[in-house]
Amino acid sequence: MDVAADTTEKTFIQIAEIWVPEGDRLVHGGGDYGGLGAFEATSRRESFAQGEGLPGKAWAEARPVVLKGFDGSYFKRTEAAAEAGLTAAVAIPVFAGAVLKAVLVVLCGDDDARTGAIEIWSETDGLMMLDDGYYGAAKHFEWVSQHTHFPVGQGLPGGVWAARTPILMRDLGSGYRFIRADSAAKAGLTTGLGLPIPLPSGRSCVLTLLSAKGTPIARRFELWDARASRVGKDGGAVLADGICAREGPLWDEDNPRRVTAWQGLIGRVLGSGLPVAESAAPGLPGGYGAMVALPLHQGGELAHIVAWYV
Amino acid sequence: MQKLVVIGAGMASGRVLEHLFEADPDAYEVTLFNAEPRGNYNRIMLSPVLSGEKSYGEIVTHDDTWYGRNDVTCRFGEKVVAVDRARKVVIGENGEVPYDKLVFGTGSSAFIIPCPGHDLPGVVAFRDLEDTSAMTEASARPGAKAVVIGGGLLGLEAAAALRLRGMEVTVLHLMGHLMERQLDEAAGYLLRKDLERRGITVMTQASTKEIRGQGRVEQVVLEDGTVLEADIVVMAVGIRPQVQLAKEAGLAVGRAIQVDAQMRTSDPDVFAVGECVEFEGHLFGLVAPLYDQAKVLAKTLLDEEETFAVKELSTKLKVTGCDLFSAGDFAEGDSREDIVFRDPARGVYKRLVLEDDRLVGAVMYGDTADGNWFFSLIKDGTDVSGMRDTLIFGPAYQGGASADPLSAVAALPDDAEICGCNGVCKGTIVAAIEGGAGDLPSLRAKTKASASCGTCTGLVEQLLAVTLGDGYAAPAAQPVCGCCDLTHEEVRRLIRAKELKSQPAVWQELGWKTVNGCHVCRPAVNFYLLADWPLEYRDDPQSRFVNERNHANIQKDGTYSVMPRMWGGMTDANELRAIADAAEKYGAAVKVTGGQRIDLLGIRKEDLPAIWSDLNDAGMVSGHAYSKGLRTVKTCVGSDWCRFGTQDSTGLGIRLEKRLWGSWTPHKVKLGVSGCPRNCAEATCKDIGIVCVDSGYQIGVGGAAGMDVKEVERLAEAATEAEAIDLVVAFVQLYRENAKYLDRPYRWIAKVGLDWVKAQVLDPEVRAGLIARFDISQSVYQHDPWADHVQTRRAAYAPLADLSLEAAE
Repeated sequence: MDVAADTTEKTFIQIAEIWVPEGDRLVHGGGDYGGLGAFEATSRRESFAQGEGLPGKAWAEARPVVLKGFDGSYFKRTEAAAEAGLTAAVAIPVFAGAVLKAVLVVLCGDDDARTGAIEIWSETDGLMMLDDGYYGAAKHFEWVSQHTHFPVGQGLPGGVWAARTPILMRDLGSGYRFIRADSAAKAGLTTGLGLPIPLPSGRSCVLTLLSAKGTPIARRFELWDARASRVGKDGGAVLADGICAREGPLWDEDNPRRVTAWQGLIGRVLGSGLPVAESAAPGLPGGYGAMVALPLHQGGELAHIVAWYV
Repeated sequence: MQKLVVIGAGMASGRVLEHLFEADPDAYEVTLFNAEPRGNYNRIMLSPVLSGEKSYGEIVTHDDTWYGRNDVTCRFGEKVVAVDRARKVVIGENGEVPYDKLVFGTGSSAFIIPCPGHDLPGVVAFRDLEDTSAMTEASARPGAKAVVIGGGLLGLEAAAALRLRGMEVTVLHLMGHLMERQLDEAAGYLLRKDLERRGITVMTQASTKEIRGQGRVEQVVLEDGTVLEADIVVMAVGIRPQVQLAKEAGLAVGRAIQVDAQMRTSDPDVFAVGECVEFEGHLFGLVAPLYDQAKVLAKTLLDEEETFAVKELSTKLKVTGCDLFSAGDFAEGDSREDIVFRDPARGVYKRLVLEDDRLVGAVMYGDTADGNWFFSLIKDGTDVSGMRDTLIFGPAYQGGASADPLSAVAALPDDAEICGCNGVCKGTIVAAIEGGAGDLPSLRAKTKASASCGTCTGLVEQLLAVTLGDGYAAPAAQPVCGCCDLTHEEVRRLIRAKELKSQPAVWQELGWKTVNGCHVCRPAVNFYLLADWPLEYRDDPQSRFVNERNHANIQKDGTYSVMPRMWGGMTDANELRAIADAAEKYGAAVKVTGGQRIDLLGIRKEDLPAIWSDLNDAGMVSGHAYSKGLRTVKTCVGSDWCRFGTQDSTGLGIRLEKRLWGSWTPHKVKLGVSGCPRNCAEATCKDIGIVCVDSGYQIGVGGAAGMDVKEVERLAEAATEAEAIDLVVAFVQLYRENAKYLDRPYRWIAKVGLDWVKAQVLDPEVRAGLIARFDISQSVYQHDPWADHVQTRRAAYAPLADLSLEAAE
């Protein structure tokens, strides 16, 4: 298990924010701004029409969007972002069937020391191909990824595509020798989280978050299974997998943790079907200051929740 | 403090120590031997370690700190050489250790198929961390290939993990469906589909003959001659208890180390636990009973009362995204009844098996939420008669609805072809409905869907219902039988649209309400499958009526009739002599039939192979007088002999019969060829009747002379004999591909219209396609069943002890 325990290190993602539809606009629905107060204040005043700014673009195009470099782009908060040192963002729309529930936006700073990967893979001609991705300083890994494809069932993108369920991989570089492994190892990437992103078009899409030791995406990951076919008609969710730099393995085959709707932060996602991005909230596990929880729907129903903590 | 020595640091013995230290940490001074150079880890979690979804560190159960805290003397990486029970010492490679009590936890080893090449480097089992590491190494090379022998729990977990690692994986399984000990055929079908969706190749009924390689595994050769390339071969066909040490120590050993209900061996100071144990004839491979044993043994070691008992087991597969659950006994039986629930759209199958108002087995795939509840009902033997009607919906049932009959159509992809005649896909039809075509006539006008043969009408109506919801009221259609909600035509269309190539696939994907269909739907589905997928589907004799199964017509006294084929009604002295000999030898009555054949009546079942063999020896084959297939081609003597004959009707009849015989059709097919309009062969009341005229051949179809009497309708006129044969073959194939099972051609033509039939058969391109598909089918089915049965199934005709029972069959 290679989840960094040092909580004083920089993290790869600096901001996570939620935008929710209200009428014909997306309005602010909370976020973790990692102490970047000015950018937070600007954001809280903002809203987006369909097609407007990054969240509006993800809504209009009904797919995840990666934006590297804000200058001269459609990004609306360029000035505030520049002041906060933010240079790249990924917007992930959360759909339940054809209905947009929210847009999760994560923002990163282009810093030579920050390594990680946020990738969007989608199916083209029977293979998972890279749509786009943000890699920070992992330039070689970025190049390798752009020239890699995954058949169904193979590697993290192909595995998530085939299993239709989130997958959390350990030791990307050493234990798990997928095609990009050498490069991943050199970039220090260890933990890989793959999520099936449902799109109204029906096109298969996989989001991967690859976390490096030095600048981790998170120090704790949780995968919750909320499918009625797993938890029954009473609802709730069971912890299917998870690792934590402090507590070690979080999974328990015989006696998995369980939450019900509105019970804690995961319960809030279960009850509302909306993502959560919170800092300093009650209910965070010991030693963690912030968390993001992203719901994944299948057939219009909430199926999985993926949460990461920093 | 007493001395306890434990041989083997596995999951069972580890659990014994946990219970022991928890109850009385000072009771024993413990020495733990382990041949592996490490302590206890959660062996059943090795597959996620192999896939990369867990790290080894996460599955360690007892680390050095734990052993240190409990003062366990660890002798890891050291094999035990012998046990001297007389001196009460365990002899390790590095020296002896005395004991007061001794526990065998030696576990099991993988069973390796002793085929040539099984000992080549690269052939591994899947038992421990070393095996896991070997597989990880093998997967490091891009494009590497793995062959997994064994489609049980362990083999499939290994296969899925290796696939995730990037290997090309083939699973070989000896039996007909995967995990046959835990799953029935329907669940096995879904599991196979799930694995194939992951890019894994699954081969069932695959028997390994040999493993080949120069110094290292390179190929796996199957009994049928198939050769598979392999960089690694994983053997996961079963386990064998490790009992050699116990045997050498003189303990009672059967299939494994025999213990009583307190886990005591034949020596009162020696105990055994885990997979190396045999209790009341049972062996153990799953973890739940091992933990039960551990609890019992810990109490026994502390002189407390506890008894081990064998319980029902449940199974889950550790492949991410693969939800299956199996518990209890799900074999079919006369006193048992099934409750089946299928939801094709969600890929859900649930089956409960009840006996005497109690749940005895449960198999579920795709929805396992209620698995544990069902499992507890099985274990407790709860009387479920009061909740029988709602049992399948689980504990939280609150007036739940049955599966939506529209779900199969709703689940079809947009590019699934609904109307085969006009090549109209689901997406086109749905778009037209959304564009305002709200009923069948307007849809037909707009898309041409169901505008030709009409067999897809039901499906098009379902699409209307799916798209328009309550706004569309479909007319009621007659389903195939009580097992499903679909008509014959819908089943046929969906078998093609969804590419269903096996009976389990049909049952699941079309939402059958019974486990394996019934006597009504099975013969129909069997025919539809063999007609549509001649190369992929194998005919199932168990889905045939008794006459077709026995290749002879059963008579009212229980004897059979035997009728050899006489091509075009022609015979000769040799054939007649053989028939006469056979009639005499087997005491047959002889009857000349209306179809110009000779029928031998009154043959006993046990004589069938012999009489067939005799007739085969004279060059004759089965006349298929019993089949839903080509029966006879009746001819007149034609231009060779008759003053009025215009063409060689006998020759055409012979050539047609030789082309068409052996093919299965929805119902029987009779042909007639008359040499002139005087029609001596009575061709105009046959399913297909040809009347020769000076200008060529008049081909009529859809005649009948049975319960209904009907004259043929003109399909076409052909100038040449070759053209006439082409038209007949194309018509037969069109009938095979489109008619409802047990509809004679005249009934089918009445439904689809002769115009449509003509349009198909007369279009040169369509005709060529029909003929090509017929020939492919004939390459599989045109063979003499008599010769086959004489060779391979003679025993099935042997007399039963009670002959009256046989007669009643």
